[in-house]
Amino acid sequence: MATTTAAITLTSADLLTDALSLSATSTLHKAGSTEGLDQTTGMAHAYLTATTAIDIFPALIEASIAFENKSNWVYICNLSTDETEFLTVKICEQVIGKLYAGDFLWMPWSMRESQNANDHHGDITIAPSVNTGMHVEFTCINEGTEYHTENTSAGQ
Amino acid sequence: MAITATVTLTSAAGDLLTDALALSTSANLTAAGVSTALVGTSGLGRKKLASGHAQYTLFDGDAYANGAHKIYLKNTSITAEEYFTIEINSEQMGKLYAGDWCFFPWEANADTNDIKIDPSADNMVLEYMLFIDE
Repeated sequence: MATTTAAITLTSADLLTDALSLSATSTLHKAGSTEGLDQTTGMAHAYLTATTAIDIFPALIEASIAFENKSNWVYICNLSTDETEFLTVKICEQVIGKLYAGDFLWMPWSMRESQNANDHHGDITIAPSVNTGMHVEFTCINEGTEYHTENTSAGQ
Repeated sequence: MAITATVTLTSAAGDLLTDALALSTSANLTAAGVSTALVGTSGLGRKKLASGHAQYTLFDGDAYANGAHKIYLKNTSITAEEYFTIEINSEQMGKLYAGDWCFFPWEANADTNDIKIDPSADNMVLEYMLFIDE
């Protein structure tokens, strides 16, 4: 069984009167089980030169719920060093938040159809704040990705 | 003032992949668009959702200005089937199963950005912390 571990530490000597030294570790499991996640998209490194929002992982296929509610873990990091540059991260068109230079996120993704009937299928999108080029890293560790079949129609 | 968040993702060679996974990233938590550290926090809290396991608004988007807030959540359950569903507004982000934690940015500023938590069973305990961009 694959064993993948995610850990975080949150530290500060001066945020509070007392020192902050929080740590947590978890092993990545398939939904509702103790079986380890055994698949991944791999770590991607992209250089984005437009402010357009883009899908970064294959999401639910139209009219298919086979992969809904499976366990997915998403890591996204904004590699910019310019403190004013950010990535806007959305799920189903809903803004989660902005990752400023050096920021990362680690979040579960259960991939569910949008509740707002706006034809989104659990998509996670990122949009750079500038078109002058931003480096981004992202990966998904999961219990399966439903890859889309080829589309050979012209113009699509 | 400084707050540091470090994430590590690890898996031995031949486990998740043929090669070992050993990712480590650190970030200083700063206010939006500047290098000044975040100065506010909700503190580390624990919430027991006793009965009915109904949805609960953990953070009200209206209560905070738009900013580079950060959220930490952990499901303290040890029962593998128990999870918290995390929603932003009405969109489901994901499920935190027993022992899972997450850390993500949050753009507040409206009711449409509420962070909602829905436990799958009674008496589940959520640990949480909000770092606030004031």
